[in-house]
Order: sequence, then structure tokens, then C-alpha cells
Amino acid sequence: MTSRVAATRLRAADIPYPLLVGALGALSAILFLVSLVVGYVPLDPVAAVSDIIAGRDSVGALVMVELRLPRALLGLMVGFSLGATGAALQGLLRNPLADPGVIGVSGAAALGAVIAFYSGLAGFLSIGLALGGLAGAGLATALLLLLARQGAGTTALILSGVAIGSLAGALTALALNLSPSPYAVMEVVFWLMGSLADRSLDHVLLAAPLMAVGWILLLGAGRALDGLSLGEETARSLGFDVMRLRLRIVVASAFAIGSAVAVAGAIGFVGLVVPHVLRPLVGHQPGPLVLVSGLGGAVLTLAADILVRVLPTHPELKLGVVTAIIGAPFLFSLLWRMRREMD
Amino acid sequence: MKIEALDVSVRAGGRTILEPVSLTIDRPGLVGLIGPNGAGKSTLMRVLAGLHPPDTGAVRYDGLTVDRIGRDVLGRRLAYLAQSGRLHWPLKVERVVALGRLPHRERPGPAADCDRAAIEAAMRATHISALRNRPASTLSGGERMRVLLARALAVDADVLLADEPIAALDPYHQLEVLDLLGDLAARGKTVVVVLHDLSLAYRYCDRLILMSGGRMLADDAPGAVLTDANLEQTYRVFAHRVRLAGEEHIVPWVRLGTVAPDEADQTGGTRPWKRT
Amino acid sequence: MGAMLAAAISVAGLQGALSPAFGAAEPRSVVSLNLCADELVLRLAAPGQVKSVTWLARDSRASTVAAQARDIPVNHGLAEEIVPLSPDLVIAGVYTTRMAIAFLERLGIPVMDLGVPATLEAVRAQIRQVAEALGQQVAGEAMIADLDLALADDGTAGGGERPTALVLRPNGLTAGRGSLVDTLLTRAGLVNLAAELQPDGFGRLALEEIVAAQPDILILNADPDAPPSMARSLLEHPALAGLKESATVVTVPTRLWTCAGPQLADAMTILKSAAEQARHATGNPRRAP
Repeated sequence: MTSRVAATRLRAADIPYPLLVGALGALSAILFLVSLVVGYVPLDPVAAVSDIIAGRDSVGALVMVELRLPRALLGLMVGFSLGATGAALQGLLRNPLADPGVIGVSGAAALGAVIAFYSGLAGFLSIGLALGGLAGAGLATALLLLLARQGAGTTALILSGVAIGSLAGALTALALNLSPSPYAVMEVVFWLMGSLADRSLDHVLLAAPLMAVGWILLLGAGRALDGLSLGEETARSLGFDVMRLRLRIVVASAFAIGSAVAVAGAIGFVGLVVPHVLRPLVGHQPGPLVLVSGLGGAVLTLAADILVRVLPTHPELKLGVVTAIIGAPFLFSLLWRMRREMD
Repeated sequence: MKIEALDVSVRAGGRTILEPVSLTIDRPGLVGLIGPNGAGKSTLMRVLAGLHPPDTGAVRYDGLTVDRIGRDVLGRRLAYLAQSGRLHWPLKVERVVALGRLPHRERPGPAADCDRAAIEAAMRATHISALRNRPASTLSGGERMRVLLARALAVDADVLLADEPIAALDPYHQLEVLDLLGDLAARGKTVVVVLHDLSLAYRYCDRLILMSGGRMLADDAPGAVLTDANLEQTYRVFAHRVRLAGEEHIVPWVRLGTVAPDEADQTGGTRPWKRT
Repeated sequence: MGAMLAAAISVAGLQGALSPAFGAAEPRSVVSLNLCADELVLRLAAPGQVKSVTWLARDSRASTVAAQARDIPVNHGLAEEIVPLSPDLVIAGVYTTRMAIAFLERLGIPVMDLGVPATLEAVRAQIRQVAEALGQQVAGEAMIADLDLALADDGTAGGGERPTALVLRPNGLTAGRGSLVDTLLTRAGLVNLAAELQPDGFGRLALEEIVAAQPDILILNADPDAPPSMARSLLEHPALAGLKESATVVTVPTRLWTCAGPQLADAMTILKSAAEQARHATGNPRRAP
């Protein structure tokens, strides 16, 4: 990461990179705090915090620590994972349509988690469930790179994504069909819509180390992704091992997306929209976009999660539904702009 | 840096693209790699750049293989300009050029100043300083090629391998780029460049390597390589030799060899002397 | 396929000619396509009268008539399973196996739909309706009388306070106002907090609301040995740990209070004892009588 900071000195950005990172960081911090204050029961945050500090077991402290804190933390973590992975995948495939949801990685992660869970291999709050998600996401990303190798033209990418997504969907349906639980279908349908409601600190502890592995790998790939903007040969001539970069991003996506899906379900479009919006602000450079998109993803996810709690719908809207409503028009506008390339 | 290729050959899809070739590039100068389309020039360039592992033989850099010298070290000492310079994101010109500094920026620190100097020098040399804030996606083909060349120059490597750097340029910029590459060679760099323009190759290069059908046919001074016999055998053309300002130049003039009779009638292809 | 369909129609035609209209005489072959219907017919019908019940009826986790269902052939709600039985009465749920029912009705087989009862009045009506259709009015009235007897004491007769209770179903679902569970809670002398937090019958409560509501009694509506489900794992949320310690926690299996039948009395017994326990445990229930 330090090398990226140095790298930014070379770029006369319209918005200086440190300022952009600082602003997005501050915005996510503010939304994190708002997320702690917003909820279903009126709660005096000051009293709750003083109860927590004093170690008093009040309802306010309980709600704050056991319910709102995990929710806000997961919003931050899941959003960062989605945004950063989207940016890195787009940089690797040199295609702005590469989003973990669009290309079927999230769906495959869900499949992995569903198999792990309903086969009884894993409890809901267990490393097994997350590993199932990891395995699904990793397999899908690897398969995607295999199908859409080299040029990663838009058509090849989308067709691969559709293939992986529908395969994952079909196998998920199969797993549900064979599941002995009467709730399975309904809860997985809801789970696939993505939500951060009623998660616990255990979820945070489960996901944090796995996501951290993914983030470190993603953030360290920035220089190589920059080099890749001139194509694979030039990147290699600049001293980058492109095969290792591919492997690195496959593993990173598996860790970040697999664990995000395991704790929050499939929250779509964050990885598509956020890099798309922020790319001009980093001068279209794929390397710095990874960190910036991670922060942007956290901002979007926290904002969407606050929105579902503020909206007067009860039960609350699913997070993935909200991000999809925001994201689908972006996908259309991107496709519209790329239609010439598609022909 | 001394580059040695020993018996390197490349096969792909059951076809030999490059017959075993041995060559050494060990002194500063402008080396032209010439030959008709499909001769294996680009493949040889990529093998020399360490981007394509040869099926037989080995390439050594100062006596070391790519793995021994390290790809990162090679990235600082050898710059490669690809033939199809594709740019995947609409980066500003200045940032594209700055990508050439990536191999030098593994560690943060005071490198930034010399990076900036290298970037500025590369932009000045290619006359693109005025374009610095333009998105590279909005440039013309020629401007784009110069930007990509500037990117390769910014690496500030001992060796520059440039695959057809002037193919998309107008005469003014062709001469400009070759003057620039000649300058680099005069200042002690080794420049290997794939060229199609035989007149310019003859005029600018210190040494020419002639390829045909995956084989290296000649490796010598331009005058010794561009003989009538070599031109007929590889390019199937006849070239005039003219003397201008006290120097000899060669001008490819007519096609030779087997052509259909009616075509031969129209062009006089088999009788090159007819049009002189 | 054509031949099969033709055979099915001829069977149905024959059946249509012989079978009496609903309730006119005692039907001799009754098929149930719904778990609630299984429970009623297995309790009310004469021996041999029931030809088939759903496969769920044999599952003791879901059914209160697993023992009675052991010797009765089971179906999976498929029309193909039903037609060869030539039933003269099919009893189904309003919301289940609709495709099979549409097919059976096209063949002229009499089908009776059972709704989901939300009040004790509706429970009585449904028992009566099924009993009449089976020609077992006497058994039906006896079942209603037993149930009324068990539910008669509404728990407030002793002048005790009314502890607050919250039903927690998998996925955070609860039992709101106007549901059968709400009726039972009130009858047992409890205040259903969900009905106050949320106006509609079935809804989802955020854990936050549950924790903040601090009920005296937490009623877990979950079957302990069910297969793994994400829904159930919500009940393990650490935020509920404190509540599980401070409140009286009881478990009421779904099978006891979903369908009309005598098992409602068992649910009531559990609720009443929980109410009693809560009155003693806290000594200070949050609600006045």
C-alpha cells in the first residue's frame, strides 16, 4: 500500500488521491456512526455508550453492542469487499462489466454456502459455511478466467458470467430441492437477496480474518493492475507476473466475496456501480481504484443499509433489492455505451 | 546489457514459427529486424524480451536466464514496445507515460523526482508534452503510437525492443521516431526495432537481421543484408539503388517472381528493367 | 399419456355416478391432502374410512397423529396418487396442492377446502365442517366439547397479573394480532407483545424490537430436532442470550397450535404453566391485570 501512496505522487490527479481516500474514509466513518444510531427502537446513543463503558447491562447497551455494531461493521466490511473486488476484477479483465454479481461469482459463493449448510457440514455461524462460500467463489472466478481468458472481450465475459450464474442457480435449486429443511427454499431466496439484519458479532469475527486476507491481496495488486492497462505483454515486460496476478485475484475474490456472501448473502451491483462512478476520479487508473472503490463500496452499502431501516416498509427491504434498484440502470447504461464493442 | 539467444525455436499449433536461431546483441546501436509478413520477427522479439519462453534453446541476459536475473530486474533494464499497443482505460497521456516507471517504483521514497524527470524527458523526446492532459483514447493513431513509445522510453532501460513503432506514423513522425531511436543508440543504448520500410531500415540501422519463413537469413551491416539476391529471395521485390547527397539509398520498386500472365502484362512485374 | 388420462377420466366418471354429494351420506373413501386435514380425519373418521393421508402425518415432529397414520397409505399431494384411490371425498388446504386439486375437481371428485382458522370460533366451525363431511357429527361435537372444557379457564379467573409474552418463530417471525396463536395467548392470560408492536397478523420483528420489548415469557416456536435451517439459527443470536436467562423460556412445537384440533389444549396447558411460572419468577410482571 505504501508503494501506491508513492505512485500517486506521479499523477496530477484532478482530486488528489490522498484527499479522495480521506474524503471517502470520512464519509464511511460518518455513515458507520449513523448506522449505529438508526434502528427500530428509540435509543439514546450517548446513554447506551456510557452504559457500555460502565459495563452496565442495559437494553440500550445490548442493542448497541450485539445488534447495531455488528450490522454497521458488516456494512463496512462487506461493502469494502464488494467494491474492492469489483475494481480488481475489472482491472484484471480490463472490462468495466466485471462485477462479482454480474459474472456469477456471488451466485457460486451462495451455492457453496448452501451446500455446506444444508448438507449439515456446517452450522450457520461456522467456519464451514464461510469455507463453502470461499470454495464456490474461488471455483467460479477460476472458471471465469478460464472461459474469458486473455482479451476478456465483453461478449466472452458476459457469456461466461451467464453460464456460471445459471449453473450456480440451477445447482442451488437442486441443493434446496434435496434439503430436508422445510424453510430452506424461502430462507435461501431471501438470503440471496442479501441482508445485514440481525447479524451478530460472531458473524463479524468469522468474516473479518477471511476478508482481511482478501483485502491485503487485492490492495497489493494495484501496481500490477496499472501495468495491465497496456495489455498482458507490456505488463510482463514491466516485470509483472501476469499468471501470478490472476491467481492472486482469484484467491482474493474467493476470500472477500466468499466470506461476504456467507455472512450477508448476495448483495449485487456494488462492485459494478462503485468502480464505475469513482474511476474518473482516479484518472481511470485501475491500481488506485481498488482502495478507493473499497471505501466507496463501504459508503454505498452502509447508506443502502441505513435506507432500508429508514424506509417505512415492514419487514424491511432486502439490501440486495435496494442495491439492485440503484445498480440495474448503471448496468444498462454501461451496456448501452459498450454496444458498439458488442457488435 | 548483452542479450544472447542460443538455438531458440518456437512451435505453435504443430507449426514451427521460429527455426532455431542464435544471435547476440551486445553493443550499443540501432538493430533493425526485417523480413516479410509472417517471417517470425514479432515472435523473435518476444523471445528476446523474455515474454515467450522458447521451445528449445535459451535467451540469456548478461549470461543469466530470465528466471535467474528476475523479471522485475529485467523490467528495469529492458523495455518492450508491443506491436498492437492497446490501451484498455482512457488514461491521460501523462499517466500512460508514467506506467513506464512502474518497474522502478517497488519501494516508495525519493525515486519520485527521477521518475518525474524520466517522464518529462520521454514526453519531450516524442513531442507529446502538449498532449499530457488529453485522455489517450482521444488521440489519433500516430499520436497514440508516440505516447506508447514515450511510455517505453520512460523505463530508461539499457535495451529497447520496439515492434513496428513507425507503422502507423506519417513520414514526418516516422523520421522523428527513427531520429530519436538513432539518438538513443548514439548515446549508448541498444535498440532493436522491427521495420517494414527498407529505405529507412537501410538508412538508419547499424545492423540488420533479415528473417524469412521463421529462419534468420542474414545478420550483418545493412549493405551486406539488403543485397539484390536477399531482396528477391525474401521480399520478392526488386529495389533501385540511388545516390543522394553522397549516400546510397534503396527504393523497392517492383514485385518479382511468379505472377499471373495477365497481371504481369499490366504491371510488367517480371521485367523490372522495363520501367526504369 | 393419452391412455392414462382416458383411464383416469373413466374412473372419475364411474366415481361421479356412484358418489353421493357432500355430507349426504357417509363417504367411504376419504383422502386428505393437508396436514391439518390429516389430523382431523384421523381423529374423527371411522376405521377404514380414510384411504390416504399426507406423508407429513407420519412425521412425529410435524404431526400429532403420527401413531394413527402409521398404517394408512400416504400421498405426496400428487393427483396421480389420488385418482387410483377413487376417493368420494378429498380434503385439502386452501393454500396447498392447488394444481392437484384443480385436476381432481375437473374429474368431478368432490373436494373440500380447509381454511386457516384464526379464532376459536373458526376452530370449532372447522371441526364441525369436517365431522359433518365425514358423517361423524357425534365425534365432532365431542371433540369440540372437550376442547371448550380445556380452554374454558382463561387464566385471568384467578385474578393474577397478565405477564407479557413474545412468540419467536424461525426467521424472526412472530404471531401478531388476529392469529390463532394470539387468541390462545390472550386466553392463557398473557399479553401478546407482538400484537402491540405490529398491527398485522404475521410479521417479522427485528431482533432489536424483541430485545427492547423485554417480554416476561419468550415462547420459542421451534422444533428442537429439525434439520439445520438459517431461520432457526436466528434463535441462537447472542443478543437473545440475556433475554433467555431473564425471561421464562418455553418451547411450543408448531404442531400443537397450527391446526384445529384437541392438540390446542396441550398448547394451552404449556402457555398457562408458563404464565404461572412467570408470575412467580419475576414477582413483578410488567403488566397490570
